[in-house]
Amino acid sequence: MAHEATTATSPFVMDTTFWTATIIFIASYVAIVSERVHKTIIAIVGATLMLVLKVLEQHEAFYVEEFGVDWNVIFLLIGMMVIINILKTTGFFEYVAIKSAKIGRGEPLRIMMVLFVVTAILSALLDNVTTVLLIVPITFLIADALEVDPVPFLIIQVLASNIGGTATLIGDPPNIMIASKARLNFIDFIYHLTPVVVVLMLVMLLVIKLVFGRKLKTKEELKERIMQMNEREAIKDPVMLKKSLFVLGIVLCGFVFHGMLNYKPATIALFGAGLLLLLSKTQSPHHYLAEIEWPTIFFFIGLFILVGGIVKVGLIKWLSIQMLDLTGGNLFATSMLIMWFSAFASAIVDNIPYVATMNPLVIDMAKQLWPDKTGLDLLQHPDLMPVWWSLALGACLGGNGSPIGASANVIVVGLAEKAGRKITFLRFLMYGVPVTILTIFISMIYVWLRYYVL
Amino acid sequence: MRAKDIMEPIKGYLSPENTLKEAVNKMRVTLREEKKIGVKGLVVLDKDQTLIGIISIIDILKAIIPHYMSFTELSDFTWDGMLEEMAKKVADKKIKEIMTKEVISVYEDAPLMECAILMVKHNLQRIPVINKDRKVLGMIYIRDLYYAIVKALFDEKEVDNNGS
Repeated sequence: MAHEATTATSPFVMDTTFWTATIIFIASYVAIVSERVHKTIIAIVGATLMLVLKVLEQHEAFYVEEFGVDWNVIFLLIGMMVIINILKTTGFFEYVAIKSAKIGRGEPLRIMMVLFVVTAILSALLDNVTTVLLIVPITFLIADALEVDPVPFLIIQVLASNIGGTATLIGDPPNIMIASKARLNFIDFIYHLTPVVVVLMLVMLLVIKLVFGRKLKTKEELKERIMQMNEREAIKDPVMLKKSLFVLGIVLCGFVFHGMLNYKPATIALFGAGLLLLLSKTQSPHHYLAEIEWPTIFFFIGLFILVGGIVKVGLIKWLSIQMLDLTGGNLFATSMLIMWFSAFASAIVDNIPYVATMNPLVIDMAKQLWPDKTGLDLLQHPDLMPVWWSLALGACLGGNGSPIGASANVIVVGLAEKAGRKITFLRFLMYGVPVTILTIFISMIYVWLRYYVL
Repeated sequence: MRAKDIMEPIKGYLSPENTLKEAVNKMRVTLREEKKIGVKGLVVLDKDQTLIGIISIIDILKAIIPHYMSFTELSDFTWDGMLEEMAKKVADKKIKEIMTKEVISVYEDAPLMECAILMVKHNLQRIPVINKDRKVLGMIYIRDLYYAIVKALFDEKEVDNNGS
């Protein structure tokens, strides 16, 4: 029995290094959650403490896949950020948002539904934060034009961005990290996660219609304000827009075929970034490169090293054994546990550190279960696949659980406050908690049906 | 000449607790020079008459433009009547929320050139003249500086003419 094999493994030695790593890790986590100091600073300090106190060698932190920085994740993020930074200067997002409102024919409910779908799709293909950052201002404008409360629109868009982001490898940071660690490709995500996300979106559209159908009303003359807007005026740089969309098209095609062509996603994203910088004919790439969200990048780098430290001392292995004990080595139970726990954890802590920790834990768990397997046979063991998908679904969808559950939530709540429409913690929870429970519940049924019944 | 020689006395001021609507009304009825009514800016004084802010038409416009407009370029997507609507929406906003808090001011003995430099550098129409206790003694308007220039040029010309 797999279960017996796991408990037989001697876990680790509780020496000084073990406690040093554990204390640095826990203290960093507590500090990140407390939000007293910026999380990136904590991650850098924690990571370098792992090096200074000799838990990890610098070589391990920078060059060893198991203990150090996952450069595939880092450069995939950087590449996509550069492409999006160029795309966003063209007025593309503003165009799409105004166009959506016009497709909704000025009808608030229909606009809410169109913006829900558009935000989800953009979040799946680009990134959540940029999408909401550029659609939210127009949402305010549309709500003012129609004289309706913007807050439900804003929260619905946050929910959409987290649900949409779940659908693809590049949609949400947890997926990027999981894909890299488990060596899954873009098509794997399309095949396994996109179907359930489509179901979730259809259910959400139904829920929106039921909840807001009667409430959202506006006057006919106000609809005219929307219909008179000319979305073409949003396009500031048509030439650059064409170039950006051309490169984005190449990059998306590249993602679709990267598994087949044996490229890592970061190769595709960086190539796209380079190509677009070349096409932009800019004399100084300084601006586009400075706009990369360096704090996020360094947060990832720090976290990878922090987690590497506790992987090296065996804490993660010990945790994986505890988890297998808890579920009796039953992988269905493990999947369900991971999905719900991930959702809960992601609502409370940032899902990026959470997934960074869970990834090696899942791999260690697999090592306990199938000690004779290595490489892809281990990482993508057929029985392990539902566990990866459960982790992705839980961590991404759990982001909806609270105003601090994902970066997009924090951004939108912040923008709303600046615009004088404060979204209280409680008001967000009134939307976020039911939606998280509903979407996780549906995902649970999906995983159960697809991987354990059919 | 120095600031105190050309400044005009202030005929009205605002309290930080006034609303935007009250401020607009005050600006409408405050005397300008001797006879004309209506000013385009007022100082904001706290309880002990200390200068803590200034309001001008641009501050009122900034308060009326919704904040989300600054997130991205959306001026093409506004509608007829929007300005008026937004003005009504923010009518009850407190002056302390919308005033310019970093007031550019000069002391009473400041040379006129200092006033001119500040006006150009900060794109101002008026500068409060204060004493060491930040009590407002008067206001220098851009037109006062202009009059000073006119006077200087024409007085000198007359001197020149007489001399030749």
